[in-house]
Amino acid sequence: MAFAPLDPILHNQLRLAVMSLLVSVERADFNWLLEKTGATRGNLSVQLSKLKDAGYIKVKKSFKDNYPNTACTITTKGVDAFEGYVKGIRTYLDQEL
Amino acid sequence: METELTPSQSLQLIQDMVQQAKQSFQKSNFYFLLWGVLFALAGVVDHLLQRAGVQMHWVIWPAMGVIGGLVSGIHGAREGKRQGVMTWMDRVQMWLWGSYTITLVLLIVAAVSWGRDPNPFVLLLTGLPTFVTGALIRFRPLMFGGVLFWMIGLLSLFVLREYSSLVFAFALVAGYLIPGILLKQHEDGLRPA
Repeated sequence: MAFAPLDPILHNQLRLAVMSLLVSVERADFNWLLEKTGATRGNLSVQLSKLKDAGYIKVKKSFKDNYPNTACTITTKGVDAFEGYVKGIRTYLDQEL
Repeated sequence: METELTPSQSLQLIQDMVQQAKQSFQKSNFYFLLWGVLFALAGVVDHLLQRAGVQMHWVIWPAMGVIGGLVSGIHGAREGKRQGVMTWMDRVQMWLWGSYTITLVLLIVAAVSWGRDPNPFVLLLTGLPTFVTGALIRFRPLMFGGVLFWMIGLLSLFVLREYSSLVFAFALVAGYLIPGILLKQHEDGLRPA
């Protein structure tokens, strides 16, 4: 069966990992996401921008103890997309069995 | 380059990340130990000052409250920065204990203005957030601590006022300090440094 109907924004290892983390918490800093995903700074930065452009997350940049800090939160659109994605893979797995 | 995922890999990844996020809430043993020590001490000191005939014996309570508030605030801010994440559990606990503090202050003002000893009411109220926090973090000793606050609070209504501060100190040891020590062992064991 084709895996195409799944949301292409979420069907990526790092973006899906980020969304799975953000759906479970209220707010997360860039460094926390970096630690939990084990990604590189550059890659995480790029994937966060894609999620932000899709309207799935909100990114707030500020300064914390004189260092730049990026805080991310999931949006309602992001939660809906994530739930749709999970439903999609469940359907696929059910059909596989 | 983007990594393609199979559906089962996707599901596994989601489960792993959700599990990781679940383990990220702030440790709360510090607050139970801090407030347990401060107010158990306040109870004993208040009792001794009363026996010594000191008029302003009650000053120890707001003094400990201010110290505890400052230390808690600084610790909370530092932990929040270090942790880099705010979970729903952290948020619920923040609002629970925040609203408890407001109710506590109002209750003390009300009790004092009625000429009543506030200690039994404070203990009865403290049972609620202690029990709920224990239930939220699934830690039975803390739930038991909450029940002890309710029981000792009820019993302290029938204790002579001169011993009220000592009973309060005992309740803090039983309801905060002992569960706090057990919680520290539990939390340290869960997430070794």
